[in-house]
Amino acid sequence: MLGLPLAFAAPFVLSALLVLPAFWYLLRLTPPRPREIAFPPLRLILDLQAREETPAHTPWWLLALRLLLAAFIIIAMAGPVWNPPPASLVARGPVLVLMDDGWTAAPDWAERVNAAAERMASANREGRPAALVALSEGAREIIAQDSARVTERLRALKPVPYVADRRLALPAIEKFLSREKQAEIVWIADGLISGFADEFSRDLGTLAGANPVHLVRASRPLLAISSTENAAGALEVTLTRAQTQTPAAGQLRAFDKKGLAMGQGSFDFGASLEAKATFDLPIELRNDIARVEIEGEHSAGAVSLLDERWKRRRVGLAAGSTADVAQPLLSPLYYLRRALQPFAEVREAQAGRGDPILSLLEDRLSVLVLADIGVITGKTRDEVLRFVTEGGVLLRFAGTRLAGASDDLVPVRLRRGGRVLGGAMSWDQPKQLASFPAESPFAGLSIPQEVTVTRQVLAEPDANLPARTWAQLADGTPLVTAEKRGKGVIVLVHVTADTTWSNLPLSGLFVDMLRRTVALSGETLATGQDAQGQRVETLAPQRSLNGFGALGAPPLNARPIPANFTGAPDAEHPPGFYGPPEAQVAINTLQPGEKLEMAKYETTFVSEPLLRAAPVDLRASLIALALALLLVDAFASLWLAGGFDRLPWRKVARRGAAALLLSLATLIVSPDHARAQTKPGDAALTTRLAYVVTGDAQADEASRLGLASLSRALAARTALSPGEPQGIDPARDELAFFPLIYWPVVATRPQPSPEAVTRIANFMKQGGTVIFDTRDALTARPSGPPSPEQQWLRTMLTGVDVPELEPIPRSHVVTKTFYLLENFVGRTTVGQTWIEALPPENADQSNRPVRAGDGVSPVIITSNDFAGAWAADQNGSPLYPLVPGGNRQRELALRAGVNLVMYTLTGNYKADQVHVRDLLERLGH
Amino acid sequence: MAQVELLIRDDAERQALHPLGPLDLARRLPGLIVSAKEVAATVMHGVHGRKRAGAGETFWQFRPFTYGEASARIDWRRSARDDRLYVREREWEAAHTVWIWCDRSPSMAYVSGLALQPKIDRALVLGLALADCLVRGGERVGIPGLTRAFAARDIVERLAERMAEESARPGHVAGELPPAEALAPRTQAVILSDFLSDPHEIAATIRAMSARGARGHLVMIMDPVEETFPFSGHTEFRDVDSSARLRVGEAQSFRADYIRRLAEHRDSLRAAARARGWSFALHHTDRPASEALLNLRMQLEVGQGG
Repeated sequence: MLGLPLAFAAPFVLSALLVLPAFWYLLRLTPPRPREIAFPPLRLILDLQAREETPAHTPWWLLALRLLLAAFIIIAMAGPVWNPPPASLVARGPVLVLMDDGWTAAPDWAERVNAAAERMASANREGRPAALVALSEGAREIIAQDSARVTERLRALKPVPYVADRRLALPAIEKFLSREKQAEIVWIADGLISGFADEFSRDLGTLAGANPVHLVRASRPLLAISSTENAAGALEVTLTRAQTQTPAAGQLRAFDKKGLAMGQGSFDFGASLEAKATFDLPIELRNDIARVEIEGEHSAGAVSLLDERWKRRRVGLAAGSTADVAQPLLSPLYYLRRALQPFAEVREAQAGRGDPILSLLEDRLSVLVLADIGVITGKTRDEVLRFVTEGGVLLRFAGTRLAGASDDLVPVRLRRGGRVLGGAMSWDQPKQLASFPAESPFAGLSIPQEVTVTRQVLAEPDANLPARTWAQLADGTPLVTAEKRGKGVIVLVHVTADTTWSNLPLSGLFVDMLRRTVALSGETLATGQDAQGQRVETLAPQRSLNGFGALGAPPLNARPIPANFTGAPDAEHPPGFYGPPEAQVAINTLQPGEKLEMAKYETTFVSEPLLRAAPVDLRASLIALALALLLVDAFASLWLAGGFDRLPWRKVARRGAAALLLSLATLIVSPDHARAQTKPGDAALTTRLAYVVTGDAQADEASRLGLASLSRALAARTALSPGEPQGIDPARDELAFFPLIYWPVVATRPQPSPEAVTRIANFMKQGGTVIFDTRDALTARPSGPPSPEQQWLRTMLTGVDVPELEPIPRSHVVTKTFYLLENFVGRTTVGQTWIEALPPENADQSNRPVRAGDGVSPVIITSNDFAGAWAADQNGSPLYPLVPGGNRQRELALRAGVNLVMYTLTGNYKADQVHVRDLLERLGH
Repeated sequence: MAQVELLIRDDAERQALHPLGPLDLARRLPGLIVSAKEVAATVMHGVHGRKRAGAGETFWQFRPFTYGEASARIDWRRSARDDRLYVREREWEAAHTVWIWCDRSPSMAYVSGLALQPKIDRALVLGLALADCLVRGGERVGIPGLTRAFAARDIVERLAERMAEESARPGHVAGELPPAEALAPRTQAVILSDFLSDPHEIAATIRAMSARGARGHLVMIMDPVEETFPFSGHTEFRDVDSSARLRVGEAQSFRADYIRRLAEHRDSLRAAARARGWSFALHHTDRPASEALLNLRMQLEVGQGG
């Protein structure tokens, strides 16, 4: 109505507004009651009455008030609704609802279903049948049904994780429209071009003809991850969107295979269609990432799955020539390095470390690249062979040395010497590359025309040769051959890695080929070496994404993909992981570099927004308003009649003011300390142990019980009777009252706030001790990558001034503060416990049995899970199993705890016993 | 606009309260008595004897004995001091009778926000204070139709008692004017009222009272609201003595008429008073009572002198 989202349930009632003028006339004639005044000398003027009786008009404002009141009531009776439900459908025939149900519809799926259900409900009210078409299952025949039943089907509909070709639905729609001439079409569209939206829109417009078509579109911008790349420094994620109108920024989250959070990255589109986000993590952690998703964007397109191909490999490079150092830009290693660095960690053999290949293999490589190394012999050969059979990839490039002599670490037998094409002595022109065989890992790569090969080594013709050929020249001679050895593969490129034999290393193809080759490491080779035919190995769907971007069991119609599957996912190949668990292949919803584009719809469609504010029935508020006006009118009439003069105003005012004051006072005095907080005084009165509440219920319970048990032991064995241990939040609680804070590290919890870290740092500086317990003695390897707990602790302590640490030495005073201990054990015994490094021994102290620093170490880091070992229930029975176990270990753990508490309380006091001899001597004098 | 208040608000209330007398006089009289005495004390000073020799107690003058006088009048103590005979004259202190009438009709029970007290209170205060003054001056005071004229030290209390008693009498209707009976010569009458009744009736009363030569004073007690008529807008006026009502559309248009009518009414009263040699004074309740009392006292002096 008038462009406003306002509609009336019973518009004819509004005609009563016409009565208002009559009402106005009536009101004018009935003046308000006059003021009554007693007046003794009245008889003097009683006879004047006839002279003038000017009728007192109702004041205009009172009149307006009353007319307004009447108007409000009339309008309320007409049943006004703000944001009315969609304009009732126009035609009389059945309602055909077309639902875009690709992943693009997933983020606002509920709204889409609601919009469709609303249309069906209004069809139901008018007794019209309805039909529903999910455009992903296009070819199905459309049958108009009772709209309630169609709504049931609608509720069961879920978005699919791909965008289907909508045009498949056109024949069915045409059939339906030819049957139902009066049909009305509602298309709930995703607004994107993918799935041939433009063509579908055009054809639908033609089919519909005079039938009205409503186009319901979402205004919410759609975000998707177009590609993910494990780049040199970080994992780079490229996001894309279809429109630039609204700013979009947010968070990305990365998860590993088990769904544990690995990291967060933020992105901001600004004004562009593309945004980048990076995960700056160590390579070991980055390689564990299996899934990246946009937070809060629930669609398959907002999820990027990562498989082995995204792992960043460690590649070792070794070259046969030594003179390359003189001309580094011509060295084959230079080309390899530049080509590999974007997606792999490149290691090069250090000069002067013995055998370069052996030293490279010590670095736990994934791929070993040998550029023009002819013969490998002896121990090196055995090592390389072992590397390959255990799953490594050996990539060799030809060269003069290899052409001269080769060992058995090549996929094919080579002919001595090689051949030269296009040279002065040759009839042939430089050869171009033929297209890659279908089973080759390079299949699908485009071949630039300018790549030519002038020289190569040749393979001896062999029955197995075609199966082993990954790339060949236009004349059929193999360019890249490969052979599976054990779990690994040996790949030979029949040209050099520099430009002397071919210009392949200058092309982008070289990079792509290297990328695919490197990706082979760790993956069971898809192409069957021994296959006689052209059989292509297929990978069965393992876990599939649904339209909302959640991984789950693959749908029934999911079919295996060929190992070298490239292309967009579809109904039979939903995005997700394929293949055996140890070598999964990830198929993503969006192809790398794919863009989202807005669709252009037919202009004849009636466009409607998807998200509408909920309808508001204005009746109640209008009636309330009318009542308020009535009240105002009553007061005004009373005032005009002088009724107020009789009220004991002063009393009323006084009481009103008192009530007002009282309510104000209650407002002000109302308690604002709703949050229960531990009283600091309580903590100050008794010495007690404290632990940091991590938020992980299990760890916190273990800390609480462990410290309680330790407190009991302290009370029983020492002069100290600590109070009940207290859980603290370093960001909020006063820390100064606690001599010792136990902090179990839970890697899955968020980092504490910077304020909390600052407070912890201050606590340490003021003499407090924090025991960090990473509890990962069984999972962390001393020389391996840092465990998540260690990583977490490192991140947290970056802002803290941590002194130099050392494993607790045997002579440290903490081993002697109460018990004489050799090591500090907890639930595990293998973990190391670190403490502030003592100053170096002086010569005259070397004979001392015990040493101590000046103060107490502010930080003690252990991985043995102390609290778990201490934890016992009320009866003293232990709660957690120990490794290796035994009561002795539990006792030793308690003793360690007692020593630590004594250490924090007494400092270096026990170290003073070294002076005992001197003291006795002095006493003797 | 002025706030007006009737001590009794409507007819029903007036009926209900009637047995107790208008305005439950007994309840309010003690307070009025106190204020009446206070007012009387303020005017006690300037009023003195008759300034002439006569029957009295205070010394006036010695004069030479004239022959033929009763020898008993000779003041021997003074005469012994020389060869003449002297007569001690005392100031003339003949007692006069003053009749005081306070209008206690319902129309007097009216007070507006501008006034200091209701008209009836003012009338009673004036009347009682005047009685006190007069009795102290040696006069006799009475209420016509209610008491005889008498002089007593507690004249205020006794008059108040009688009025309360009368008001409490069942079926009593307080009259606006005193009974129209001729007063004795050389007596004076003081009528304190708003005189809002028919001027002819008032003139007749005056004529009847002064038939034998009594003199009198009319004090018209008016509320300031009655003088200025500060009303406007749609108003319904209600009479107090009767059930008459007047609804006017715009009260302000009546103002000029009312003031003219009031002046006419007052003129006719004044004329009626002057015709019998009576005085007429106007008193508003927003003025202090002592002002009116002093004025009245002076008038009484003049009246006695005549």
